[in-house]
Amino acid sequence: MRKSRRIVLIILAVALLAAGLSQCVFLLRYPYFRQYAVQNSVSLREARKAWGRPDKVSEQVMGMTVEASRENWQKVAELAAEKDLKSEVGTYYYNLANAMLGQLPDRLMDYYQPFERGLFLPVGPKSTPFQIACAGDVWFALGYMPLAERDAMLGMLFSPAHTGSRYLRRMTETNLVTGDYEAASKYLRILVNSRRDRKWALERFPDKWSPSYQLRIAEKRNLMPSFDRVHGMDQTPIILRVLLGSNHTNKAALDYLLCYDLLTKDLDAFVGDYDPSLTASHLYEEAMLIFLAAKGGMSEENLRHYHITQPVLQRFNRFVTIYKQDNGSARNLSGEFAGSYWYYYYFAARNEKD
Amino acid sequence: MKRTELTGILAVLLLALLPLSCGRQFDVRPFGPNTGRTTHIYPDYQDVTIPCNIAPLNFYYTDPAGSRFQTFFSAGNYTRVFKGREVVWKEKDWAALLSAAAGGDIQVHAVWRNDGKIVTRTWDIHVSTDRIDPYLTYRRIEPGFEVWDDLEIQERNLENFDTRILSDWRHTENKCMNCHIHAQGRGDLSMFYLRGEGGGAILNRNGKLRKLTLRDSAMISPTVYGEIHPEGRFGVFSTNIIIPALHAAAGQRMEVFDKESDLCVADFDANRMYTFPETARPDVFETFPVFSADGRYVYYCAAEVRPIPAELDQVRYSLVRIPFDARTGALGSPADTVWSAARQGGSVCHPKASPDGRWLLFTLANYGTFPINHRECDLCLMDLATGKILDMSTVNADRSDTYHSWSSDAHWFVFTSKRDDGLFGKPFFSHVSPDGTVTKPFLLPQKDPHYYDKMLRSFNVPDLGNAPVGFDAEMIGDLWKNTPAESFK
Repeated sequence: MRKSRRIVLIILAVALLAAGLSQCVFLLRYPYFRQYAVQNSVSLREARKAWGRPDKVSEQVMGMTVEASRENWQKVAELAAEKDLKSEVGTYYYNLANAMLGQLPDRLMDYYQPFERGLFLPVGPKSTPFQIACAGDVWFALGYMPLAERDAMLGMLFSPAHTGSRYLRRMTETNLVTGDYEAASKYLRILVNSRRDRKWALERFPDKWSPSYQLRIAEKRNLMPSFDRVHGMDQTPIILRVLLGSNHTNKAALDYLLCYDLLTKDLDAFVGDYDPSLTASHLYEEAMLIFLAAKGGMSEENLRHYHITQPVLQRFNRFVTIYKQDNGSARNLSGEFAGSYWYYYYFAARNEKD
Repeated sequence: MKRTELTGILAVLLLALLPLSCGRQFDVRPFGPNTGRTTHIYPDYQDVTIPCNIAPLNFYYTDPAGSRFQTFFSAGNYTRVFKGREVVWKEKDWAALLSAAAGGDIQVHAVWRNDGKIVTRTWDIHVSTDRIDPYLTYRRIEPGFEVWDDLEIQERNLENFDTRILSDWRHTENKCMNCHIHAQGRGDLSMFYLRGEGGGAILNRNGKLRKLTLRDSAMISPTVYGEIHPEGRFGVFSTNIIIPALHAAAGQRMEVFDKESDLCVADFDANRMYTFPETARPDVFETFPVFSADGRYVYYCAAEVRPIPAELDQVRYSLVRIPFDARTGALGSPADTVWSAARQGGSVCHPKASPDGRWLLFTLANYGTFPINHRECDLCLMDLATGKILDMSTVNADRSDTYHSWSSDAHWFVFTSKRDDGLFGKPFFSHVSPDGTVTKPFLLPQKDPHYYDKMLRSFNVPDLGNAPVGFDAEMIGDLWKNTPAESFK
């Protein structure tokens, strides 16, 4: 009797040990899955139920969103570069990290671009909860608090627990930036009761701001619109122009607007938005060459005005020559010119589902 | 160490740890410029007027550095003392206090320590003998910019903390549902909408539920805002093409405006919809129709059509009244302007006539038709006998105050206010005296005094009822699933 009890205890101990080890292995393999679950206030079991079993792809995108929430842009870029996921969320974070590192136009054509959906994640009936949860990061980075707050609210609404520090923190900060301390305190009151968020929250009471946090808020406020404009939820170019109309030094907003014009192949809008004295990139030179060639404007004066360099011009001429020789085929262009805007402009096609 | 000693030590440790594990209260912080509570207690029940049948007013002290709180309640011969930051009543004790104070005041004396000093505060709670309709329906919704998840319509018993679900996402495959309204506070006459496939207007008449498609080919949209006629045969509604938008400026959240809007009348007995030239004009936005108390008029809001959104801040709605024929369901003409936006400035929304015919309560914003996100929006009370607007400064706050409804005896009204945080609507109640004096509003009491601190869903369109409505979520789920909607011509 005593022996059989011992055997049962040993089996139980082994089972517990195996379960513990399995959990350890899981956490080591998928650390970002765990961190994203924590940000959403759900246990690992609830997270698996809500989002399915993690894999390498989900771990990579969750890593990007977790690091983006911490504004570790270099880490986001590294995670994105590990493997081009050819997904909207993957590209969205790659673009955002590159914009924050000041290299959005220079790197734009280096990886998969699902048209404008890699710049701004659509928030609509077909969007996944994960997309919605991520969609506000770009607006917060660009300084547009109405949409940063909206997307945090919607992210929380569609999250498994209908709450989570990820969303509460963002809504706290959007309201601290806009100066609505009463609204911010609503969320601070909740966060200060969480062991994980207490320190973060205590540092954000308006009378407890450190000099670096004061600077952060001041920088964000400097990006905000200085005038009102009522717009539809999806009128992205209008919003970016409002940001730039309020602060023309908002380089990230400018690059996002220009890249939006280029990814939607709206060269007329691009030329209207582009001021070569404010930003420069070989991407913009390449786009201007298509426009100038189409309008018969390849004059010395125009090339000088748009800072178009000789190497880019020579490369463009070579592209055009091959394009004409092959009657518009991509056959001999996909190698040398695959990373050029010209290749994207002439050969990138929207998927049917877009 | 003997086994008995070890057991004893463990038991002591367990008892010592017990308060840590189950006694932790919600933290009262933060406290800093514009982040702390502005009153010593929350919810602020100081110097309010309450009905003699309301649930216990539980609250907590907001002083983060305070300690040794003591609260003394007295009314007539009844006294009660609480120790601690939270004041949470047993229902039977509270009922005894209300009974002792009915028609008079409850005196409250508070004492606590802050930084070694003794702090004292005294206030009164006036207990009115006017009972409030004991049922409140509302929708619980997260602020969601035209999208939703896990919606519920609930009915709260105001005399205690009981809550019943009238319709929910579980029984309707997460369908959108709009708020529930009673006709003149009647529990046996009410309606709400279930949107989307399988949905319709759910009409509750004398406990009989019907699902209706309130639309005909002449209407620009399904019905949106409206009210049931006091006799129950007709309903008056607006049809609206609604556009959601955002403001770029800081501090202004979602804006909603109408691209088109008209009025229509539904005959629930004949299953017919009626539209009329006077209230379907292409040059006028018409919306928020309600019946007068006697059912002989329809009040609604009307504004001149302007280019939108470019001139949205110039769209201002006047309050208009038009005759209604309760025999035929016809809206007559001409429409009288009761409150002129052009002359008086501002935009009227959500008119509601008191069931006794004496008052008209409406919301006034700077412009537009979506007051819930307009910080400046306030409640206005019109004396229908004189046409005068009465002073409501004791009621209104510096955040949106709107979505109001009357109790069936017209002594109380409830409204949604975004005071405190500007984000989440909460139901407040005020008393109206025969001379039009309104009292400082009090917040819907909750069992947990920290309830509103944790809350991440608004109370949307609170509506008072004198009796429970005769349905629940299961019946609505069954109606949604198994009953086709009745069509209207």
